Amino acid sequence: MSSFARHRIPDGSAQSARLVPPERWRAALRHAPLGMILSIVVLAVVFTWANPRFGSVENLQNLLYQVAVPLIVVVGTTMVIQMGSIDLSVQGVMGASGMAWILMSPNSRLAVDFGPWAWVAALALGLGLGLLAGIVHARLKVPSFVVTLGTWYIGLGIGVLLYGNGMLPSLTSETLARWPTRLTLGVPNAFWLAAAALGLGLLVMNYTRLGRGILAIGNNETIAGAMGLPVASIKIMAFAVAGLLSALAGILATMQLGSGSPDIGSGQLFTVIPAAVIAGTALSGGEGGVVRSALGVFLLILLNNGLVLAGVDPDFQSGIFGAILVVAIIAVSWPLRGRLKVAK
Amino acid sequence: MTDHSEILMNRTTLAKPLGGRLSRLASGHVIAPPLVFAVMLGAVWLLNPNYLSPFGISIVAATAAPILLLALGQATVLNVGSIDLSNAATSLLGTILLAMILPGYGFWGILAILALVTVIGAIVAYAQVPSFALTLGTLGVLQTAALVTSDSQTIYLGANRELVSTLYTTNVGFVPLSFWLAVAVALVFWAALQFTRAGQSMTAMGKNETAAILSGVPVRGLRIAAFAVSGFLGGVAGLAILAQAGSASASGIGSALLLPGIAAALVGGASISGGQTNPLNVIFGALTVAFVPMAIQALGVGAQSQSLVYGLFIILVVALTTTRSRGIVIK
Repeated sequence: MSSFARHRIPDGSAQSARLVPPERWRAALRHAPLGMILSIVVLAVVFTWANPRFGSVENLQNLLYQVAVPLIVVVGTTMVIQMGSIDLSVQGVMGASGMAWILMSPNSRLAVDFGPWAWVAALALGLGLGLLAGIVHARLKVPSFVVTLGTWYIGLGIGVLLYGNGMLPSLTSETLARWPTRLTLGVPNAFWLAAAALGLGLLVMNYTRLGRGILAIGNNETIAGAMGLPVASIKIMAFAVAGLLSALAGILATMQLGSGSPDIGSGQLFTVIPAAVIAGTALSGGEGGVVRSALGVFLLILLNNGLVLAGVDPDFQSGIFGAILVVAIIAVSWPLRGRLKVAK
Repeated sequence: MTDHSEILMNRTTLAKPLGGRLSRLASGHVIAPPLVFAVMLGAVWLLNPNYLSPFGISIVAATAAPILLLALGQATVLNVGSIDLSNAATSLLGTILLAMILPGYGFWGILAILALVTVIGAIVAYAQVPSFALTLGTLGVLQTAALVTSDSQTIYLGANRELVSTLYTTNVGFVPLSFWLAVAVALVFWAALQFTRAGQSMTAMGKNETAAILSGVPVRGLRIAAFAVSGFLGGVAGLAILAQAGSASASGIGSALLLPGIAAALVGGASISGGQTNPLNVIFGALTVAFVPMAIQALGVGAQSQSLVYGLFIILVVALTTTRSRGIVIK
């Protein structure tokens, strides 16, 4: 149970031996995703060599702007995958929350402005969809794949119903439309928002009962339950947080686009799940982490941006992501093969 | 160990008296799929009988045919405990290849697709990677392949068109031939699962793979076979799509069939964790999924709530039919 020892419970109990700082740094370095960082550096060097514009400040800012939405989504997705479940609903939740947000903010269809209440309502919608998925999964014992497939459709349906037959709702407030691109300390606001979500995810996973509980469930749900962890409530909370983060991503994506669409999240699932998997978050749970997944998102977005600058057709994006995913997972799992290993 | 007894039970069921068989039938996942479909049919008939005209039935059956074929393929893979996210993309690429080479080499097109997906299955089995991640990758690759081979254009059927379109234009009892073809596949699949060693081994593998390995079940070969069946049926679904549409493109009818295919298999009682599939119920699953849009219209709710109803439906049906007896950990 070496993996269990790694997941210390931060309540200062006798078992959680505190490591002295140098030991701690060395341990952190051993678990650092050096391979990921190296791949990102190599790719950056190659792309800069292929097209010097890649390394320009404008393009780097553009990169941070593009990475923001999938970065927010991947934090929630990773938490759910680390628990051994899966969340397919991100695109649906993004569509529902994005539409709810824009219809309550200054827009070309309705003459309303609820200000911060638009945020509250849209985030609550995402939280609600996440809670629904969590409760059905944990209490009614329906596999998370099926439940979140359902909430994907439900979210999409809410988005379509809100979109209705009227004209395209576009954002009329210049301040809001410009906010994601505006720079603070040289970095686009969109990225600051994503960085805040990432920081929050990191805190939750490392320093709260919820985060440690998620990892314990991912490692071995039966043991976690036997030890007295409230497995059902932890699961429900994890799905609720994932829904909340998808909603935030939906709002940001709507702001970036400047108009509302139920399909605002289109393609996100195909970025965040490969990103998490490439970065070493095992779909069986208990492994990986939000920082690793964030690096995975960086790698994929960087690759896409670099290939576009190098003159490759954007249509190839899903093919390239797919090919990388196939190669990466085979490479990772090749040494772990065994006659009795079960890979589903 | 339980797997062995269940296999034995499956085999001896046939010889059991009727009472025992009925009590087995009565468990939720067996009876629910036809029941759900019947209830929906009844509701539409009460509210708006016009939707059940011969024309209406023929439209539902034509829509259900490719969904059923994909769902049967998906059910095969689900039965061994894996999942195939790329089968709709396979069928899309198959449709395009078929449309391009139909004047002359249509049959070889299906064979080429079959070879391709067998390779995907082999990778899952030999590299021992999780099928969810791997087929997500091949999904992307196949989508791009579809875009590239079709050059992002719509390809219309020209010469030899009637070779394919007969499947759609010929009706037997208001229902196009393509649907009967899919039903025939389901019957064959059902018989294969019940009466062949390979079928029973696949179910055993889905119930408990470690136990199956230890009992000498050729797990790798069977997993490859399951993916090959899924891909092959994807190709046949492509045929049905081509027959109906008369043209193929990377964003055509086939591009959005992945989720309906999975939904149909699940509504048809296939378990996502493996070891439980009834191909005959998948027929009702596919009919239900194809019928939902029409039912929504008949109930006068408006087409826009289609996705919403779909989502609620999947959760509801699976929550009602899923078996919770095997193991306490549900992922």
